[in-house]
Amino acid sequence: MVKPSNDAVIGLGAAIQRVKEMESPGRSGVRGQSEEEEAMAAMDVASDVVLLKKVWRNEKAAPEVLHFEAGLIQRAREQIQLLEETVEELIEIRSDDIVVSLYQMDLDRALFLLRSYLRIRLQKIEKHMLHIYRTHLWNRLSEQEQRFAKRCLDIMEGHLERSVLSRLPYGYQSMLKQSISSEEDDMVPQTQLDTFIFCKAKEQYWSFPVG
Amino acid sequence: MYGRRASQLLRELASCEDGQLTVFNNDIFEQVIRECNEHNLQLQSLIRKIEDANLDIQTTRNADHFGAVIHHLSLSRNKRCLMGYIYNRAELIQSLRWKIGPVLPQEIQEKLSYSEEEYFKNHSTALESYISDLDLDLTVDMVPPKDPYIRVKVLDDIGEVCLGDHAISLIQHSLHFIRRTDAEPFISQGLMEEFIE
Repeated sequence: MVKPSNDAVIGLGAAIQRVKEMESPGRSGVRGQSEEEEAMAAMDVASDVVLLKKVWRNEKAAPEVLHFEAGLIQRAREQIQLLEETVEELIEIRSDDIVVSLYQMDLDRALFLLRSYLRIRLQKIEKHMLHIYRTHLWNRLSEQEQRFAKRCLDIMEGHLERSVLSRLPYGYQSMLKQSISSEEDDMVPQTQLDTFIFCKAKEQYWSFPVG
Repeated sequence: MYGRRASQLLRELASCEDGQLTVFNNDIFEQVIRECNEHNLQLQSLIRKIEDANLDIQTTRNADHFGAVIHHLSLSRNKRCLMGYIYNRAELIQSLRWKIGPVLPQEIQEKLSYSEEEYFKNHSTALESYISDLDLDLTVDMVPPKDPYIRVKVLDDIGEVCLGDHAISLIQHSLHFIRRTDAEPFISQGLMEEFIE
């Protein structure tokens, strides 16, 4: 199975972050900066949006939950907030409607990417919380996602307990095992990894074994 | 035949249209639970029979042993089916939170068992607390945006609503041109629809 390379994305994200720190120290601090700085900020938005799109696409295509892109998400949210303020300002100074709606559209798209990314992750967590909780996948979640997953897990456990488990005979009441005689946990729904996914080649491979 | 009723439950799930929920089949569910306990009684009595004959429970391979195995396997299978039924329905139920919102309409609520209603409420609260943790509403913006504004038709009297910095009154059958993000909650509640000429 071909897995989208996630490390490369993180690497690129970190590199761009470093470049940015060198270029524009304290970028998000002062408002009303010179035009040049403003242009730079706009470029940052573009590059992070490209990154976000990539991360979003990877998450959408991968059957398993991938590493949470904490840094990128943090930056994306800051930039979205900046953009929101810009739009508000533009409305206040009664700027041209077309300009406002262009900014608004840009903002809406960035927001959609962010929401959709977080949503796809949540849906994966909802689907395989038990498996994620018990494996290395747990470390891929953000702190908030972990809290959510733990809570969901408790709720699901309560529901299964009430509906089925507490009503079965002794020895068959475990959520994880079919019966007391099962040697390992054989009732944990897992992510189906043996499946088809979409992927995009980043470099040229002359021959690539498939199947 | 052992295990037939339990498989009926799963067949019911499988034959259902994607994303559609059927009425919780309490009748068959209870029958399967009873079947499980019946299997267990049989299983216990067979084990006792082996023990009473002073045979080693681990190594004996007589008719009683294989009978016990059949009961054990049937019980496990029933358990898998019951769990599968509940688990898959729970997945469907939690997806309703995304599609419909925190309050389910009467006709859907009637399809849920008591525990499932509780499950929906609890799961819904968990999601809400994640969203407030995050300070970003994830239940809006479900489709990629094309235009920040959309034309909508009001399907039911909503009344005076404050959108942005001005109030508009949303009367049944009226048409409005408003921000997509403002319209989405109303659309998902079925109070508005996108108006396409």
